[in-house]
Amino acid sequence: MSDLDRAIEQLRACRPIPENQVRELCYKARELLIEEGNVVAVDAPVTICGDIHGQFHDLMELFRVGGDVPDTNYLFMGDFVDRGFYSLESFLLLLCLKVRYPDRITLIRGNHESRQITTVYGFYDECQRKYGSANVWRYCCEVFDFLALGALITGASTDMQPSDANIADINSQSQWPSEPSDIEIEILNQHNQITHRYPRHRPAPISQDLSQLSNTPSSPSQAPDQAPVRNGAPGTGASGHSRGSNNNKDGAVFCVHGGLSPLIDTIDKIRLLDRKQEVPHEGAMCDLLWSDPDEIDGWGLSPRGAGFLFGADIVKCFNYKNDLSLVCRAHQLVMEGFKEMFDSTIVTVWSAPNYCYRCGNVAAILELGEDGSNAGYMPRSNGDPNRSQGIVAPLGEREQALMKMGPGRRYRVFEAAPQDPRGMPAKKPVADYFL
Amino acid sequence: MDEPRGKPRTPRFECLPPGQKHDFRSPSQRIHDGDDLKFFLGSTTYRDITTLLSLLNRSMFPSLSDGEIKSWNLSVRLESSATIKALKDIISMLSSLTEKAPPDTGPRRFGNVAFRQWYQIAEDSIPTLLDDLIVHHVPGFNGTKPEMRSEIQSYLLGSLGSAQRLDYGTGHELSFLAFLGCLMKVGALKPGEERTVVVGVIQPYLELIRKVIMTYNLEPAGSHGVWGLDDHCFLPYIFGSAQLGPPIRDLDADGTPIEGSCPNAPSPASVTNKGTVEAYKDANMYFSAIQFIYDVKKGPFWEHSPILYDISGIKDGWGKINKGMLKMFVAEVLGKFPVVQHFPFGSLFKWERDPEAVAHGTSLHAEEQPKSKDTTAPQSATASTEQDPSAAGVGTQAPWARSSGASMPSGQSSTGIPTTRAPWPNGQPPRQINIGRFNTGSGSGPPKKLPVQPRFEEK
Repeated sequence: MSDLDRAIEQLRACRPIPENQVRELCYKARELLIEEGNVVAVDAPVTICGDIHGQFHDLMELFRVGGDVPDTNYLFMGDFVDRGFYSLESFLLLLCLKVRYPDRITLIRGNHESRQITTVYGFYDECQRKYGSANVWRYCCEVFDFLALGALITGASTDMQPSDANIADINSQSQWPSEPSDIEIEILNQHNQITHRYPRHRPAPISQDLSQLSNTPSSPSQAPDQAPVRNGAPGTGASGHSRGSNNNKDGAVFCVHGGLSPLIDTIDKIRLLDRKQEVPHEGAMCDLLWSDPDEIDGWGLSPRGAGFLFGADIVKCFNYKNDLSLVCRAHQLVMEGFKEMFDSTIVTVWSAPNYCYRCGNVAAILELGEDGSNAGYMPRSNGDPNRSQGIVAPLGEREQALMKMGPGRRYRVFEAAPQDPRGMPAKKPVADYFL
Repeated sequence: MDEPRGKPRTPRFECLPPGQKHDFRSPSQRIHDGDDLKFFLGSTTYRDITTLLSLLNRSMFPSLSDGEIKSWNLSVRLESSATIKALKDIISMLSSLTEKAPPDTGPRRFGNVAFRQWYQIAEDSIPTLLDDLIVHHVPGFNGTKPEMRSEIQSYLLGSLGSAQRLDYGTGHELSFLAFLGCLMKVGALKPGEERTVVVGVIQPYLELIRKVIMTYNLEPAGSHGVWGLDDHCFLPYIFGSAQLGPPIRDLDADGTPIEGSCPNAPSPASVTNKGTVEAYKDANMYFSAIQFIYDVKKGPFWEHSPILYDISGIKDGWGKINKGMLKMFVAEVLGKFPVVQHFPFGSLFKWERDPEAVAHGTSLHAEEQPKSKDTTAPQSATASTEQDPSAAGVGTQAPWARSSGASMPSGQSSTGIPTTRAPWPNGQPPRQINIGRFNTGSGSGPPKKLPVQPRFEEK
């Protein structure tokens, strides 16, 4: 067993690893992350996770519900640390997994992965308390500077291969689409039971979609006659043959912690940023980590004091321009664990259940399946236990006809981990105020 | 850390000379960067607040006379002045307002938007109530003084939480302390009334706030999560530990005890025992605050409240805890930029240097507040928090943001969620953007910047 595997085992048991091992781990992680672009390319299938905030036991619950690494590919959208009791154990475990299985797990930066924020919101205090010095905090902050700013998921299936899981409440089933091929969204609870299925909305005629967009003064480039002809890969700005803002065939999924920036109209512009620094107080990099979608037109000031608020028109333009079918972000607590907005052009995923021990929310992760459109290809779905057996659902004509669509989405919703097994620890020396 | 900085040896709290003409003015925010914070720590306002706090604190220790110990349980009946009764009425009126603004049942993310309605009604009713209070209880004023009312009112309104952000934190609590300070300065509350103020006004205020937090699911402002003392408040831990401290002689001018406990006081360790907490919650402010934590949080106490858990291991009694809480309040509330940046200064709590203030070269936190335009947090900025489990409210605010409600477009809905806000001093010019739309499609550089939102401008 390698040192790394041993460290993983120790961290899985929620026990911090010694300082020298942290230093080594952070060094290796930096070497790995420095090679990643600002926007990491990720292939489906993948399971997307939102804020963790040091809720270690809930992170373990997430892995139980979503499947373990490396069986399941994961993308974590930042905010690993602060506020929770186990930011250290949570972040170091994720980092160990990243170093051990670099192709199986992607970590991008959240606004809390910053020196200034962690000194205000708890991670610094936690490191001080657990190690008696700020060294480990410093090592971790050096890793934060190298985390990617976003990820672009390609190859996600537009089909929702129905899960073979049991139905949670048999009575609700009658409202579900009768044809499995009609499913766009499937929601499962932590017991792997299906709680909801939503049918695929027929894509609106493209002309209508565009006329709507061209009415938007802020988006002249969306006028039909100006629709660019592109041949590149989705999200490269030179891409694609799809023209709607959602329900794109091949539309990629852009993942970012906060949201969009008025300074960023193409994903390529993100690639040009110099990200290897503390999160600035303003500018594109700051906005990507701090902004929030809101029910407004255009851009608005953010009550957070950093980043911006952005409306549906902004998201639709951005998706259209970058050939995206979906923006996936975290950053805001959602009581139901996830929230799709603006005609499903953007979704918030939140993965810290009963946030701060008091919010009463559930958490969610989002699974995107692998594109199974190739003839004879047996589609897999990420995160299903025993998925190597494959999930049998042959493609019908109907699905072939509905290919121009956003990805099928399976949300797994889960509650906070049970708390009984945690014994009461010894009291630590109190802060200096009390000496 | 040594003695809390600026803790006056001879407490001095400046009151207005009765009957003299005084120019009141609407208070405004003055703390915008690290230098301002440093100035504040050497100001008369800082002196007055710390003095007021230690006066109130001292009054809550059990008293010893003729060998008999008298504890100041919350249930004890104290004789209240007419002003105290009037203040109680205002608080219970604010409490009953929740019935006029029932929680919104529609879809929501976290904080309930009906809080804005409650706040609005409170804002509408407070001027009349305060006018009444001033007319009847401020000596030497026969008529309503709008300027005076307007100045005092800022602190009362500031103590009710943020309608814009749907949150409540120690900064709002501080504002209530200042509100009481104003009433002392104008002579509505008198020396000797401290104990009645704590039991008869502050405790009802805290109960009001707990009710409002529960009713509208208010976010803890700027929460440090488990790494703060408490999500919302500080004062009940100060006064509650004083209640259980060693008895002092009433006329004893020898300062405040720094260790030991009152005989029969529950042990500090008993905060982890839900039964004991339940038994003391109606008598003691510390335990009533702990009870509220049990009411709102699910999980092991040591995990969601590690700072309080560690404090429960203190062996030198409640006096020791009390002294620590005072120091912690000074460092974590008065000394923290994200908290005091919202504090407004006027004619009562003035933005002026205290000539007797000891040199305040010791505030690392203020020193290391990033100056305007400073985009990298100095690594040493952390030194200030070393060994300082800090206390304050769960929202993530960017630390550099002077995110006062006033600077925000009021039409903008807050997420109302434990969100992070920028904690940095907002020394830089406001980021001006077009609130409507601007073109993202041009691809030619940054969007056109248009000033739109008026902000509170400091003079």
